[in-house]
Amino acid sequence: MSDTMSDAQARQLPHATSTGAAIVVDAAKSDRPRSLGSDAWRELRRRPLFIVSLVLILLFTLMAAFPQLFTSVDPTYADLNRNLQPPKWENWFKFGVDGQFGYDILGRDVYARTIYGARASIIVGLTTVLGTTILGGLVGVIAGYFGGWLDSLLSRFADIFLGVPLVLGSLLILSTFASRAHDNPSAVKIASLVIIALVALGWPVFARIMRSSVISTKELDYVAAARALGARPSRIIFRHVLPNALAPLIVVATISIGSYIGAEATLSFLGVGLQDPVVSWGVMISGGITYRNVAPHLMLFPGTFLTIAVLSFVMLGDAVRDALDPRLR
Amino acid sequence: MGRYVLRRLLQAIPVFIGTTFLIYLMVWGLPGNPFAGRCGQRPCPDAYIQRMTEKYHLNENIISQYFWYMSHLVRGDFGETFTGVSVNSLLAQAFPVTLRLAIVAIAFEALIGIVAGVVTGLRKGRFIDNLVLVSTLFLIAIPTFVTGALLQWVLGVEWGIIKPTVSSEARWSELIVPGFVLASVTMAFVTRLTRVSVVENRRADYVRTAVAKGLTESRVTGVHLLRNSLIPAVTQLGLDLGGLMAGAIVTEGIFNIRGIGGMLFMAINRQDSALVVSIVALLVLVYLVVNLIVDVLYAVLDPRIRYE
Repeated sequence: MSDTMSDAQARQLPHATSTGAAIVVDAAKSDRPRSLGSDAWRELRRRPLFIVSLVLILLFTLMAAFPQLFTSVDPTYADLNRNLQPPKWENWFKFGVDGQFGYDILGRDVYARTIYGARASIIVGLTTVLGTTILGGLVGVIAGYFGGWLDSLLSRFADIFLGVPLVLGSLLILSTFASRAHDNPSAVKIASLVIIALVALGWPVFARIMRSSVISTKELDYVAAARALGARPSRIIFRHVLPNALAPLIVVATISIGSYIGAEATLSFLGVGLQDPVVSWGVMISGGITYRNVAPHLMLFPGTFLTIAVLSFVMLGDAVRDALDPRLR
Repeated sequence: MGRYVLRRLLQAIPVFIGTTFLIYLMVWGLPGNPFAGRCGQRPCPDAYIQRMTEKYHLNENIISQYFWYMSHLVRGDFGETFTGVSVNSLLAQAFPVTLRLAIVAIAFEALIGIVAGVVTGLRKGRFIDNLVLVSTLFLIAIPTFVTGALLQWVLGVEWGIIKPTVSSEARWSELIVPGFVLASVTMAFVTRLTRVSVVENRRADYVRTAVAKGLTESRVTGVHLLRNSLIPAVTQLGLDLGGLMAGAIVTEGIFNIRGIGGMLFMAINRQDSALVVSIVALLVLVYLVVNLIVDVLYAVLDPRIRYE
């Protein structure tokens, strides 16, 4: 797609332009100049949406890091005597017992599995976003700052990957590599394959956003001033352009964590992502869908956790966007 | 305008070649025996291997294989599957079904997304605005396969309003719920896009001028505000058409719709490389063409945009 296409996209993303400029004007009005970061932080602290999503994310991170804090039950312990038993509501908010969310087809505790499932989902979501942000951001900065034939080359290269739809492409990558690698690949290997597939197909979106943001930032006066003072390109990029062009990327990255958690679950559902001995929300939901007529709790509890996790990252991204883009206030 | 269209068309060609080559490389070019496990428990007979190698030019290098494949593709010949069925006839059966599903989904997106977006944009900060915003958050957060499985279970199995699976004819009436499921996430994006653009344009100079001239509220909103505010939404709808057809794989799987997505899923599982490459190439082609049309439409809709 052409340069004009990216500009058209930039028009759709209202935060992609002039964020830096607007903040500068804001800061000039008040007595004490404030940085973009502290300005955004002041705005964020007052928003209940931000606080709620932050608390939820911290909770999920804690769940991913130390699942033992939430349950003392082994998520892989199976007892066929209790298979598909419904949730025991009287056990809620009691520690050391099981059955809060019922049991699955093999008689494993759904509550413990839901808690342990957070780890795979959160790790895949965070690592993928880290990868796409670094790779896409780097390509975007280079393409946007240097322009010319390098920009054309990188943009066309990004377009090639952008032409492959996310779920379809990762389905293809995963099924090819997983089937040719080994008969029984380890969980870590599949998880890294999922991350690599999502990064390989996701980075062009980030590169585009970064590129248009860098293009609008590098035209500003302070960049011209820095160049006139004889600063090298690396200094201009890292000291002047990057800090002021980063806002749109941060917003998209935050929202994307949620969508990548959802994408991981979708791939597990399609049977190419993480698979059964590994505990993840996607694996649990896809396993539970088969039994939803007799035991809907198998699908509903991990589904609820997944939705809340995605929701909190999307809400966080929304709050950050509002804080970084004063035009929408 | 003509020059712009031509330039965009020329730019789309290398992208199409690059994307299809990437897919081709992924499916055919990786190390490993393409015949492993193809003939059940025993190894494939030599005659079969020889015939297949000849047929798909497997003993040549990947570049000439690819060009051999593309030379057939540009003539409209998608080749044959490993079982010897013409891909063209398979696509002719499945493509209209997926297209119908995508059209139903786009209709939901346009109707619900734009109406909700305009209503919330005009009432920014009110109760209805917050209500719709929270609903879009939930629509974005619930993965499609959960929405699909839930609706299928509640509407199809528990309440019996719809049939849980779609018949092989895939009539329009059967595609309403699957179409809604497919559109659920993008619907939320269209709503938010429209809302933001209505909110921004309400403060635009030309809207203030229209109000100052004494035009009625309905005329200012209906003619001046809407025309410009709908551009991003229309663009998004166009881009979604390509994306939805590719994204239909989950929805088609849940509702057992015999479309492109289901066929691709089966082809991948059966490792029918020829079929996989052909379907993905077709989807990429649709995506690129729709992208091109949307880009051109953009210039037509908004007279302020000029591409020269």
